[in-house]
Amino acid sequence: MWDLKKMIKSSFLKELGEISEYDQAGLDSLRRRILSVGLIVLFFMAIILLRLWFLQIHKGEEYKNRAENNRVRIREVAPPRGDILDRHGKELVTNHPSFNVVLVREDSNDVDELLKRLSVILKEDVSVLWERIRDAESKQRHIPIRLKENLSWDTLAYLETHNKDFPGIRIEVFPSRLYHYGDMAAHIIGYLGEISKSELEISSDDFYRGGDLVGKMGLEKLREKELRGEKGSDSSEVNARGFEQQLLSHTEPIPGKEVRLTLDINLQQAAEEAMDKDERSGAVVVMEVKTGRLLVLASTPRLHLADFEGGISTKNWNALLDNPKHPLINKAFQAMYPPGSTYKMVTALAGLARGVITRDTTFFCPGHYNFANRDYNCWKKGGHGTVDLHRAISESCDVYFYQVGMRVGVDVLAEYANKLGLGIKTQAEIEHEKAGLIPTKEWKRKAKGVKWQDGETLSLAIGQGFNLVTPLQLCQMTATIANGGKRHLPQLIESVTDADGNVLESFKPKLVGELQAEEKKYLAWIRAGMVDVVQGARGTARTVRIPGITIAGKTGTAQVVRLEQYKHLREEDIPYKYRDHAWFTCYAPADDPEIAVTVLVEHGLHGGSGAGPVAKAVMQKYFADRIAVEAIKQAVMQ
Amino acid sequence: MLRMDRRFLASFDWVLLFLLVLVCVMAYMNLYSATYPSPGRMPPYLKQGYLLLMGVAGILFVISFDYKELHLWNYPIYVLTIILLALVIFVGNSAGGAQRWINLGFFQLQPSEPAKLMMVITLASYYSRKETVAGYSLKELILPIILMAIPFVLILIQPDLGTALMFVIIFISMTVLAKLRWSTYIILAVSGIVMTVLGWFYVLKPYQKQRVETLFNPAHNAMEEGYQILQSKIAIGSGGLFGKGYMEGTQGHLHFLPERHTDFAFSVWCEEWGFTGSLFFLLVYFFMLIWGLNAAMSAKDRFGLFLAFGVVALIFWQAVINLLMILGFLPVVGVPLPMFSYGGSSLLTTLLGMGIVLNVRMRRFQTESSLEGCDD
Repeated sequence: MWDLKKMIKSSFLKELGEISEYDQAGLDSLRRRILSVGLIVLFFMAIILLRLWFLQIHKGEEYKNRAENNRVRIREVAPPRGDILDRHGKELVTNHPSFNVVLVREDSNDVDELLKRLSVILKEDVSVLWERIRDAESKQRHIPIRLKENLSWDTLAYLETHNKDFPGIRIEVFPSRLYHYGDMAAHIIGYLGEISKSELEISSDDFYRGGDLVGKMGLEKLREKELRGEKGSDSSEVNARGFEQQLLSHTEPIPGKEVRLTLDINLQQAAEEAMDKDERSGAVVVMEVKTGRLLVLASTPRLHLADFEGGISTKNWNALLDNPKHPLINKAFQAMYPPGSTYKMVTALAGLARGVITRDTTFFCPGHYNFANRDYNCWKKGGHGTVDLHRAISESCDVYFYQVGMRVGVDVLAEYANKLGLGIKTQAEIEHEKAGLIPTKEWKRKAKGVKWQDGETLSLAIGQGFNLVTPLQLCQMTATIANGGKRHLPQLIESVTDADGNVLESFKPKLVGELQAEEKKYLAWIRAGMVDVVQGARGTARTVRIPGITIAGKTGTAQVVRLEQYKHLREEDIPYKYRDHAWFTCYAPADDPEIAVTVLVEHGLHGGSGAGPVAKAVMQKYFADRIAVEAIKQAVMQ
Repeated sequence: MLRMDRRFLASFDWVLLFLLVLVCVMAYMNLYSATYPSPGRMPPYLKQGYLLLMGVAGILFVISFDYKELHLWNYPIYVLTIILLALVIFVGNSAGGAQRWINLGFFQLQPSEPAKLMMVITLASYYSRKETVAGYSLKELILPIILMAIPFVLILIQPDLGTALMFVIIFISMTVLAKLRWSTYIILAVSGIVMTVLGWFYVLKPYQKQRVETLFNPAHNAMEEGYQILQSKIAIGSGGLFGKGYMEGTQGHLHFLPERHTDFAFSVWCEEWGFTGSLFFLLVYFFMLIWGLNAAMSAKDRFGLFLAFGVVALIFWQAVINLLMILGFLPVVGVPLPMFSYGGSSLLTTLLGMGIVLNVRMRRFQTESSLEGCDD
């Protein structure tokens, strides 16, 4: 062995000797090169020293301050979000504590094994828990990662009593929203969701952090600033592991402000439940005639708020998008429909104001009206005979309004529609409000590039054609007619109160338009016609009558399509999506109006039968006391 | 074999040894502060004490034989190191997502550390056997490139980008010293750039890319990658002119500073000793390196010169990368400050390397005949 080694060694060294002949010249050249390497070393040393001088001397004070701040961790304490109440102080949305499981990775030495045991307790798949951890991978290890929200009491109790067995697992208390009336008024109240990246970027104040909840829709969004409150803070000295050494200071959070709505939740509930019958899809708007307070603002189908909490799943979201009844849209003001016969009030007012008709002007209705070699039908095939304004409204005679419309022209109709609030946004505090559409000659030239046809004015006069309105606009118009010409801003906020009871904002009626004195006079004649729509022997909404309460209203049918192939069919046999929309708008009591109620039922066919019962249910609820008194009176008199 | 010539003792480089000891003492003090209080049966400072003793034994062993014997042992050492590097992939212990260690019971060996020294020996051996006047051609570089590429790839897949890159840097340093033809420079530079671009898109893992990107925008994600650099800068900057005093550093002791006894050990030093202390340390450290270069220049043959130069280059580049990293000029790549950062494999490797430099220095006057005399 030893010989072998020696042999290899000597042969190797011999070879070595041959190759590396002592070469002084080559060695000297290498030495010179090393000398220049020395310069590189000095160069880097200079850079490092300069940098040290910059950090320690030049910026030393600044970094000393930062080091000081570094040791203080400011932990934000979330304020309780403000409650939302109805006009009578009934709690609609409040907070309740939700208990979440969080994991602090740094405190756990075997996350894998921990999650396996935890998944059994939480009844959650291990992969789901891992997913949560992976999402937060980039965060520091002392920052808690939320594994599951809304623990049940049993799970909570188990984890609390066995906390020794779950190192790194903690329970976090988090305020979450409690909806006392389920999904009632869901569109208006809205929901909360985790703040998005873009929302974080555009928020001007330094309030939000990633993971905070913000209002995503409805009043939760519109009144976010009031509802959110002010964060409190705990500042404590900590080390980088997150171990708090000592508490340095504590600031209490300021709770969010209480927002009281003008909505009457009982009335809202009555309206929504009435819509739920026959699964009506549409909207109900109830407004106080003399103030503009919105008592009901309902849209069906309702949104299911619980689905949105903590982010809506793609499945639920797609289901909402695919739903033919479009639950995501608030049909009270985000959808537009032809006003149908409810528009006849506008035509009447325009005719009266322009002197085209008076109260006593009569037209003969043979069931159709011939204009430019085309027959325009009245809904009543046999015709109404000789009709004056009163009958034209109460029996909704189309021929009468064809004549009036043709005489005043499209632009005058538009002028009065605008005066009553149609075709312009109401400016209420709501999201994505639609302005509707009230066509003029100029509009058609610009939008369609063609001239206005006089025949189109006829369709317009009875509310068909290009006309589009929202239920909210129509309710405002009804209220304006009812109160004698004052157009109020529809409002949703009764008051905003801070935690100390200071009222920061309270409801004040706001006038946004008013008819001229002369025009107001004509409204009385229109109102008289509207009373007989419900109370008259031949009114189109006789089914809405309520004993003891005089109701004035107007039915409407908005054509969706006019297809020849469906003409011969019975109405129930027409496919749902081609059926006409049903309108009913009314106010009561007729002699001293208090509320205006507007109901739209999509594809509800007829105003009286499709939308009327919903309005009736709402008024029965609103006037319940008076109806009861009236019933007793009746009983006593008999 | 262990017989010592008296002339060796006379030509022993006491200055280099003194500088070495000075650096080790400062490192040891700093480690004690950075890990205080350190619970457990085996606190880091105690472990470091044992490692230093092992290092002294290692130095004594290395200077005991003529460095020329390394020619002979070059390929066995090379093969053994490659086997260890391959082994680490299969039986290695992982930490932080990378497999880098082999458990030897009393010691967690990180084979990529001695592999660095192995690379120096291999290249020194090759370049000293192949002499050149006009500079090396590409053909003559094929073998050393392959010898470098094997450990490079094995370490890259651990994954440990920082250490893997050290192999490239050592290769470049020693090859450039050995002199290349101009055409070879250009071809190598172009293919190097191409490899870097391809590597960025196909080899680098997302976290490694993020580290590079963080460098250009540290405040952007202060809570994540940039956090380390930011904390390091705060620790260093808050040291000011005279520092906060030994054991008084807040950023280190309150655990804000990550890796405070390993990669970021010098940040702790800067915080506690201030600019004056940092200046002192750097002067000692760089003087030690310059002295090492001096040892290389005074070597009596090409092998000795390349060996000493390679060891100095190895220490120098690691030190520069580590310092530029903690000062916020380079991404966090996990390269230690040799002899200062805590880590047994790195410490032992560096001390053995310094042993080689001492060895070369010691035998600078020796002639061929005395080599025979040494050999029994």
